[in-house]
Amino acid sequence: MSDCRTTREQLHDAVRGRLAEPQRGQFSAHLQTCSDCRQLFEREQALDQALAQRPRYPLPERLREKLVATAAAAATGSSRTTDAAHPTLPPPARRRLGRWAAVVVPGLAAALLAALLVRGVGESRQPLVDEAINDHLRVLYAQHPVEIESGGIHQVKPWFAGKLDFAPVLEFSGDEEFPLEGGAIALFVDRKAATFVFKHRLHTASLFVFRSQDLSFPSTTEHALAGHSAASAASRGFNVLLWQDHGLGYALVSDMAPDALARLAAKLTAR
Amino acid sequence: MHWYAEGMRREPPPSEPPFAEQLLAQADALYNFACYLCKNAAEAEDLVQDAFARALNAQSSFSVGSNLRAWLFRILRNTFLDGKRRQRKSPLTEESDVEAAASHDFLRGDFEIDRLRGLVARDIDAALSRLSDDGRSVILLDLEGFTETEIASVMDTAVGTVKSRLARARAALRAELREYAK
Repeated sequence: MSDCRTTREQLHDAVRGRLAEPQRGQFSAHLQTCSDCRQLFEREQALDQALAQRPRYPLPERLREKLVATAAAAATGSSRTTDAAHPTLPPPARRRLGRWAAVVVPGLAAALLAALLVRGVGESRQPLVDEAINDHLRVLYAQHPVEIESGGIHQVKPWFAGKLDFAPVLEFSGDEEFPLEGGAIALFVDRKAATFVFKHRLHTASLFVFRSQDLSFPSTTEHALAGHSAASAASRGFNVLLWQDHGLGYALVSDMAPDALARLAAKLTAR
Repeated sequence: MHWYAEGMRREPPPSEPPFAEQLLAQADALYNFACYLCKNAAEAEDLVQDAFARALNAQSSFSVGSNLRAWLFRILRNTFLDGKRRQRKSPLTEESDVEAAASHDFLRGDFEIDRLRGLVARDIDAALSRLSDDGRSVILLDLEGFTETEIASVMDTAVGTVKSRLARARAALRAELREYAK
């Protein structure tokens, strides 16, 4: 078992879930017996919970377009070596380029600009993606994001009975990497949705389950999840996955890294 | 967007996305960080544009395989500090959160935890804005998921310094939040 000094040195790593065994076990064992250290640990967790409510400032669309234009303009420049710590701004386009390049390169830049705009702006114009992110923001900013706290999926799912006109299908009950926080009812577009809230370290993920009838899902199917295809999008700093199964629509939203969100999606759809 | 998780079938990408596209994928997080640094949306926009142009221009100095995100945040922070130095026309004095922390007595135990739970987004925003630039940076980078080693790289300092700054800044923030939790 750790002593108080070691435990306090490990406090931040423990809060961030970065302690490996055997340190993690020793840390937990110490908290069981030392109320002072346990209180410090809970205080750090409470500060993180408060910080999770900090505002997130979405990238303005006009700035995204300017950055895309800057990237396209840079594609027309020649490669030069600079020091990243004190770099200079890019030179005017077409410097050092031959006469042929003055004709060909702007075409390439226009193609890159178009590709980036389609990727960067088009994604954010998906109504279901916007709806999912707005609903996720409501979860993040809510004083009490879950109406039923999780004691496991078998406690959360029955809670929805009588509150929805469908039974949400979900087998994943959360695990150490993605604990299930609880559930709530939300309004998704024009219909009620079951909301499941998962955590991943400091990140929150919301899964909205709703009747998919009459909703226009994105046609992009970038990858497949256990037998059904899903569309992915990134907008305003959030990653979104949308899929359908047996008449139900699923929207999974979080600011966690794409690979982590994909792992959660794989667990949600595993059979 | 690219997904590489196990259990998901996906055609492997033909090659790594273009550098500019990798930078653009970080634009949302970068702008959010810039807003907290500048405390002003217009300045944050200028800062992100400058940092983005600098990063594009310095592509050749980026080692493929190293941490692009940390490299980009470092450029943004250096650009921010350069701007501050120009505005002040004098050397930067190191701000500290120690005094702020020392000037408050702390709430103890469950009482403090309960009060922290009652805070709302604007309280957190206001309390963060009262920290020093370094204190705010280290807290936000930590919340962005950077490890202490990565934060040291972004802030161009030693890992030990990051640890102590983070502890100091969180203590100062807790003291600030006490004012909003009353």
